[in-house]
Amino acid sequence: MKFQVNRDVFSDAVSFAVKLLPQRTTLPILSGVLIEAHEGGLTLSSFDYEVSSQTSIAAEVDEPGTILVSGRLLADIANRLPNAPVTFTTEDTRISVSCGSANFSLLSMPVEEYPTLPAPGEQSGVVPGDAFSLAIAQVAVAASRDDVTPVITGVQLEVTENALSLVATDRYRVAVRGIDWDPGTAASTQTLTALVPARTLQEVGKTFGNASTLSVAITGSDDRELIAFQADNKIVTSLLIKGNFPPVKRLFPETVENYAVMNTADLVEATRRVSLVLEREAALRFTFTIDGLTLEAIGSEQAQASESIDALLTGEDTVVSLKPQFLLDGLGAVHSEFVRISFTKTENPNKPGPVLITSQSSKDQPGADSYKYLLQPNLLLR
Amino acid sequence: MSKQDGSGRQVTAEPTDDATATIFHVDMDAFFASVELLERPELRGLPVVVGHRSQRSVVTAATYEARKYGVNSAMPMAIALRKCPHAIILEPHFERYKHYSQQVMSMFDDVTPLVERLGIDEAFLDVRGSLRLLGTPYEIATRLRQRVHAETGLHCSIGIASTKFVAKLASSVAKPDGLLLVPHRETLAFLHPRPISALWGVGGRTEEVLRGYGLATIGDVAAAPLDMLVRAIGAAGGQKIHELAWGRDPRHVTTESEEKSVGHEVTFESNVGDADRIRSELLRLSDQVGRRLRAAGATGRTVVLKLRFGDFETITRSKTLAEPTDLGRRIYEEVRGVYETSGHAGSLSRHPTPLRLVGVRMEQLAFEGSSGGAVGLWDDDADWREAETTMDALRARFGPGSVTSASLLGGSTKRISRGDRDTNGAAQRGASATDAS
Repeated sequence: MKFQVNRDVFSDAVSFAVKLLPQRTTLPILSGVLIEAHEGGLTLSSFDYEVSSQTSIAAEVDEPGTILVSGRLLADIANRLPNAPVTFTTEDTRISVSCGSANFSLLSMPVEEYPTLPAPGEQSGVVPGDAFSLAIAQVAVAASRDDVTPVITGVQLEVTENALSLVATDRYRVAVRGIDWDPGTAASTQTLTALVPARTLQEVGKTFGNASTLSVAITGSDDRELIAFQADNKIVTSLLIKGNFPPVKRLFPETVENYAVMNTADLVEATRRVSLVLEREAALRFTFTIDGLTLEAIGSEQAQASESIDALLTGEDTVVSLKPQFLLDGLGAVHSEFVRISFTKTENPNKPGPVLITSQSSKDQPGADSYKYLLQPNLLLR
Repeated sequence: MSKQDGSGRQVTAEPTDDATATIFHVDMDAFFASVELLERPELRGLPVVVGHRSQRSVVTAATYEARKYGVNSAMPMAIALRKCPHAIILEPHFERYKHYSQQVMSMFDDVTPLVERLGIDEAFLDVRGSLRLLGTPYEIATRLRQRVHAETGLHCSIGIASTKFVAKLASSVAKPDGLLLVPHRETLAFLHPRPISALWGVGGRTEEVLRGYGLATIGDVAAAPLDMLVRAIGAAGGQKIHELAWGRDPRHVTTESEEKSVGHEVTFESNVGDADRIRSELLRLSDQVGRRLRAAGATGRTVVLKLRFGDFETITRSKTLAEPTDLGRRIYEEVRGVYETSGHAGSLSRHPTPLRLVGVRMEQLAFEGSSGGAVGLWDDDADWREAETTMDALRARFGPGSVTSASLLGGSTKRISRGDRDTNGAAQRGASATDAS
C-alpha cells in the first residue's frame, strides 16, 4: 500500500476517527484506526462494538491496501507533523510514515481480525446541524453520569412528525428542548424514539455543529438498535441504550403563576461567589421577595456569605434551597440575557415543588426557544 | 490467623518510661467465658465452652484451657466437642456481658476521654493527654489492668504502641493477662518477623496472593517494591499494607464510630434448600433491615446478600442501588434480584444446595442531613414508602408483631433458638456475638 495525503486534511480525519474511541478497551485491536486506501482516496474508521466513526478524504493513492494502526498514537503523530504532504508506505508488518524531514515506523495490527462496521440504516430525517448541536449541549448537562442506572445516562430523542425533542435527567433535574425535524419522504405518524449515550451524543454535537444539515437514521431489530448521524463525509453510529426512559415530561407544570425574572449573568456571578463557602453537597438558600433575591450560604462554622440581586417577582414570596452546580448548569444552558425561575406548587408537604428555569429575552419578554430545565430543590433544612 | 491459645505469648515485664507509645489496645481475655466463670468459680482451670448444647450451634467463646484442644470461637459446637469431648458447656448470658462491658469501659473513660470502643470487649485508648496526670503509659496500663481485675475479677491484655495497628498486634501477642509495650523505635523490629496474616486487612485470599509472590513476613512486605504490591492486590490495598508494614498507620483514636452497616441474618434449625422459603426469609430480613434504617434515620445504598452453605462455605454478593433507600420492599426486590443471579436459585439448580444461613445487609449508609436534604424529582417507591411508614406507626402503637407482610404469615420458618443474630455495625467494628479474644 502506498498513498500521499494533505497533512491538515489527514490530521482532521484522524482526530475525528479517534475521538469516540474508549479510553480503555479490552481488545487491543479496537484501539486502532483502520485506514483503507482505494482509488478515490482514503476511508478512516474506528469501532468498539458500541460506537463507530468513519470518514472519507481525498488522497493520491499509488497502491491500494488496508492497514490498522494504534489510533491515539497516530492522532498524536498527525497533530505534530510538519506542514508538508504525508506519505504512507507498508513494508511487511511495518508502516512507514514520512512527512518533510520526519519519519515514523509503526507496527500494523492484524486487519483481518478487525470487526465490520455496522451499516447505517435508511434515513429517518434531517436536522439543522447548528440547532441540533446547541440543543445537545443544553440538554446533555442534565444526564446522569452514574452507570448504576444506564437508562438515564442517555439523552432520549423523540420524533413526532416535524419536531425532534431531546430529554435528559439524573433524577434531580430534567432538561428538555425541541428543534425542527424534516422527515423528508420517511414521514410517519408514529413516534420514533432513540436513547443515545449522552457522552456519544455530546461528541456528535461538537463534530457536526457546522454542518448545514445532518442526516439521522434510527434503525433496528429488537436486540440491536442503532442510530447513525451523517454529514460532510462523516458518519457516526451508536448502539442505543436499552430500557424505558422514565416518563419525565409529565413532571413539567402546565402553567405557573409564581415566578421571578433575573439578569442571568448577575445570578451566575452571585451564585458562584456565595457558594464559595459551602461544603460539598450543600445547597444555597434563595429568598425571593418583592425587594429582590437574596442568596445565603451557611457553610462551616468558619464562613458564611450572602448577597442580594435585582429580581422581578410575580406572585408570592418564595424560599427555595438549590444545589449551586445544578442551578448553574441550567443558567449556563438558557443562553439568554435574562432568566425566569418559576415555582411550582406541590401536594406533598414533605417535598418542595420543583423550580422551572426558562429563557427570557428581556425583563418582561419570555424567550422564543423551547428550552426547559426543571430542578428539584433540596429540603429546607433551617 | 494468630493462634488463640496464648502460645507465643510475649510481654513487657520491666517497667519502662517510654512515652512515644501512647495508644492502648485493651482486650478482655476470653471475655464471655471469663464472665461465666465468675458465677462458676469451681470450673476454673477446666476447658469451658460457651454456647448452646445443640448440634447446630456454634462456639460463642472458649477458655484458654479449651483452646489448647483446638477449640476456637465461631467453630461449630459439634466439631468443638469432637476436639475436646470433656469440655463443659455453659449457656451464654448476654445481659451479664453487657453489664461487665459497661463497667470496664467506664474504667477506660477514667483514664482518658479518647476511648474508641470496638464492640463489647475491646477498645483503643489514646493516653497522650493523661501522661502528666497519671504517669507513663506503662504505669497507666499496669494500674488499669489491676483495677479491672480488682473490681470485676476479669483479666485483660493491653498492647501499647505509637499506632493503632501495632497496639492491636501487641495486645494479641501479650494475651492472656499480659501487657506489651512497643516503643516507637522498636516498632519495625517488632513488626517485621511476624507473618503477613497479622497485617490489617490481609485475610485468606490476599494472604494466598502475597504468599504466591514469596512474601511470608511483614518484613518481606516492607522490603517489597510498592508497585509489585499494587500489582498483586490492587492500588488501595497495596499502598495500605506497605504503609502498615513500615509501622505507618495514620488513623487516630476516634471516640464515636458511625455505624457502617445494618443487617440481619438467620441460621436455620435444619438446612434449607427450598428457594421459595429462602425468598420469604429474605423478605422478612429485608423488612427488619428497612425498619432499623428508618428508626435510625439512615439510608443505605448497597445491598449485600450472605449465604452460608451446609459445609460452611460462605458467599456474599452485593449490588449498589441507583438511589439510597430505607424501604424494606426496595431492599427485598434488590436482594432478591441478587439472590436469583447468585446461582443458588433458578432453573439450573432444581435442587439447590441446602443453606445453613441467609443474611441481608445494607451498606454505604448515609444519615439524615448528610445529603444536604437532596430529594429526587420522583420516587419510584412512593406507594411502598407510605405503606411502610404506616406499618411503622401501627407497630409503634400495637407492638412489633401487629402487622407484617401477608406472605410471612403462617408457615413460619423454624429458626435456631436464639433467633436472629443482629449483625448491626458492631460486627463490622470488630466484635460480634462470638468472643475471639
